[in-house]
Amino acid sequence: MSTGQLTGDTARAVPSPSPGAAARPARRRLSLSKRRAWAFYAFTGPWVLGFLGLTAYPLLYALWLSFTNSDGLSRRTSFVGLANYKEVFSDPDTMASLGRTALFTGITVPLSIVAGLMLAVLVNQPIRSRGLFRTLLYLPAVVPPVGAALTFKLIFDRDSGAANGVLDVLNINGVPWLIDPYARWVLITLTMWGVGNIMIISLAGLQDIPKELLEAARVDGASSWQSFTRITLPLLSPVIFFQVVTGIIGALQSFAPLLIALDPTPAGVTSVPESNYFYMINVFAQYFANGRYGYASAMLWVLFAFIVVITFLVFKVSKGAVFYTVEAEPAKDKPRTMGDA
Amino acid sequence: MSVPARSALGRRDFLATTAGVTLAAAALPGCAASVDDGSGSGSGTKKGASTLTVMAKDEDKKTIQAAEQVLGVKITYLAFDQTKLNAMLASKNPPDVVRGFGALDTPYFAARGLMADLDPYFAESSVLKISDLDPVNDLWRFDGEKQGAGPRYGMTKDYSQDGMFWYRTDMFDAAKLDQPSDTEPLSYDEWLDLGKRLVKRRLGKVKVYGLSAGGTLPTFMHLTASAGGKLFADDLASVDFSSPEAMKGLSWYLEYAKANIGPSPANPNPDGWDGPTYQAGRMAMAGDGYWFGGVIGGDPKLADVSRFAPAPQMGGHRISPTFGATGYWIPEGAKNKDAAWKFFEWYFAGQPAKDRASSGWGIPALKSLRPMMPKAQPFQKQSYAVQQQELPYFQMMTVTPYAQTTALDAVINKVLPGAVKSGTSAGKVADALNSQMNDAIAAGKELVG
Repeated sequence: MSTGQLTGDTARAVPSPSPGAAARPARRRLSLSKRRAWAFYAFTGPWVLGFLGLTAYPLLYALWLSFTNSDGLSRRTSFVGLANYKEVFSDPDTMASLGRTALFTGITVPLSIVAGLMLAVLVNQPIRSRGLFRTLLYLPAVVPPVGAALTFKLIFDRDSGAANGVLDVLNINGVPWLIDPYARWVLITLTMWGVGNIMIISLAGLQDIPKELLEAARVDGASSWQSFTRITLPLLSPVIFFQVVTGIIGALQSFAPLLIALDPTPAGVTSVPESNYFYMINVFAQYFANGRYGYASAMLWVLFAFIVVITFLVFKVSKGAVFYTVEAEPAKDKPRTMGDA
Repeated sequence: MSVPARSALGRRDFLATTAGVTLAAAALPGCAASVDDGSGSGSGTKKGASTLTVMAKDEDKKTIQAAEQVLGVKITYLAFDQTKLNAMLASKNPPDVVRGFGALDTPYFAARGLMADLDPYFAESSVLKISDLDPVNDLWRFDGEKQGAGPRYGMTKDYSQDGMFWYRTDMFDAAKLDQPSDTEPLSYDEWLDLGKRLVKRRLGKVKVYGLSAGGTLPTFMHLTASAGGKLFADDLASVDFSSPEAMKGLSWYLEYAKANIGPSPANPNPDGWDGPTYQAGRMAMAGDGYWFGGVIGGDPKLADVSRFAPAPQMGGHRISPTFGATGYWIPEGAKNKDAAWKFFEWYFAGQPAKDRASSGWGIPALKSLRPMMPKAQPFQKQSYAVQQQELPYFQMMTVTPYAQTTALDAVINKVLPGAVKSGTSAGKVADALNSQMNDAIAAGKELVG
């Protein structure tokens, strides 16, 4: 049925006006399609406004900035073409920070997914107080990243931190955890501390696996390991794939090193230990310590492109390894019969 | 009846309208910021404006909020954040009063036309008189070419001669070392030697720092100036770490960093600053100026064992500069400049200034307030006397307007750690610093002209 027909039908269904109504000024009624359109746009409008104002506009502004030598404050900003982009790829510090970030991603993403999955398997067992364990393990994931980073900064403080307090009790020399070469381990620990988030998603995935399949495997004599690798993991692969993709994107944009740095300010950003001097820290330093808005914007666009490429590659590589449960559709060309039902 | 397709609100129309509304909304603050107050006075104060936005540090928050009662204006306090300040300046919506470092910020912000010229206000003020201003306030002046001349863009709240240092007598006694003279400066080599003797290690790791000698741009400017040279060229458009004087200073600093007797960019202090480390007995000599007496004064046990000494000397040139001259400035785009000036008069000459002067957290920026500096405790008496003798050696050090000092410090933090670990020669370190700093300065010069 076309929109026009629907509207026409609706219009015909409206009862004739009462005699008294003739005195009132004629009110223009909106057609159903128009009302639907207005309702749709009224509900989506706030999001579209937010997207345009808070996402599209800043993105395009940053794109424009990336072709300039802007420092954000001077009036003589000029167009420099692709110079900033060329510098991104030729600057050894920028490439080193990207390499460091990629290495961190390569270490923490698989590690946290494996740890999260193991925890999920553990708390999925029929043990007493498992609700409590689930809560305790998930709790760190609820802590906001800034709070978590500040907590770690306190725990690993050289003079008053709990970590060195324990070492002190054991008569072991305290360690300056927040500077090289220890800082990278504090950061990895901080990342792993929030693994409850992955655990909870994996747990949901585990609980979605039909028990009949596992029981059938057991009846057929499959060991627990075989059930896990042949049934659980394949059925969990979409969940793991989701965690890999979001984990990579999150890790590449990691900003936590700055928060656990000695002085998380534009002046202090350059004192972030070298091992934790990630790409986003470099971007922050270029923007706010060096005042290079143009170059930093180019760095952000390069990171954006890098993330898109990596995500695309992950999708390509994982094509044969992710199994989705698909509902069988009835054949279209075959007429359904009572027997089919 | 069918509805014509164009009469419904189309997606394109909707998106175009939304985009228009968004862009207009984004443009409005910019327009608002450029609206003239119509007073024609150039003061930039909007009629009826009664809110003063002050960006400051938390330790000053209560004092600043007290201005609400005294000045009868509503105070909006913003915690100082360089990122936020830059964003506010870039969007032409700055605070009315901003905390800053006269020694480091003035040329950069003034050269970009971001600071308000306060000369007309000083000229008319009966509270803040030019004749009463300590010379340190000249660090807030910039004439377009050099610091120390031209219009005044801000004022120092209090300052210190930051090359001076504090030491712990208990640690000197334990090491059986003579205490430094109150009047005669040590040479930098003597100071380093003391640091090496005072450091305490356990299992190969530093347990007590012997000495803290900074490591930012002002440190190297002071080392060079103390050797009789200058780090910046006369036109402030380049640095030269390769001059004999700068090399002398750089070599000294590299030796200090390699000796690993104190915090440096190669091995930063996990505390972030000297206060907690010195207080906890993990630092024998702290290279901090008079202001550090404020930390010491809060701990009677520390006060008992702390003494103040003149700034060490690299060569025959005795100089004792300030690295900060912390104070406040009024942005050119401030909406309430007249009220900001009233705040200045109260804050710099009223009760807050008197409170600061008697607190020991710095030398007052008004000569008339100097007699209020604390002298009650023995350590205060000693530090006051040492400070008085040091005042004649105060000298200004000028920074470039073409790059923020954070950018130049970033170069130091990047070059030094690797150089110290690999034992790179001072000459090569100087070349690396020259090359990277001069690139940053040249890029900034293009923008300022």
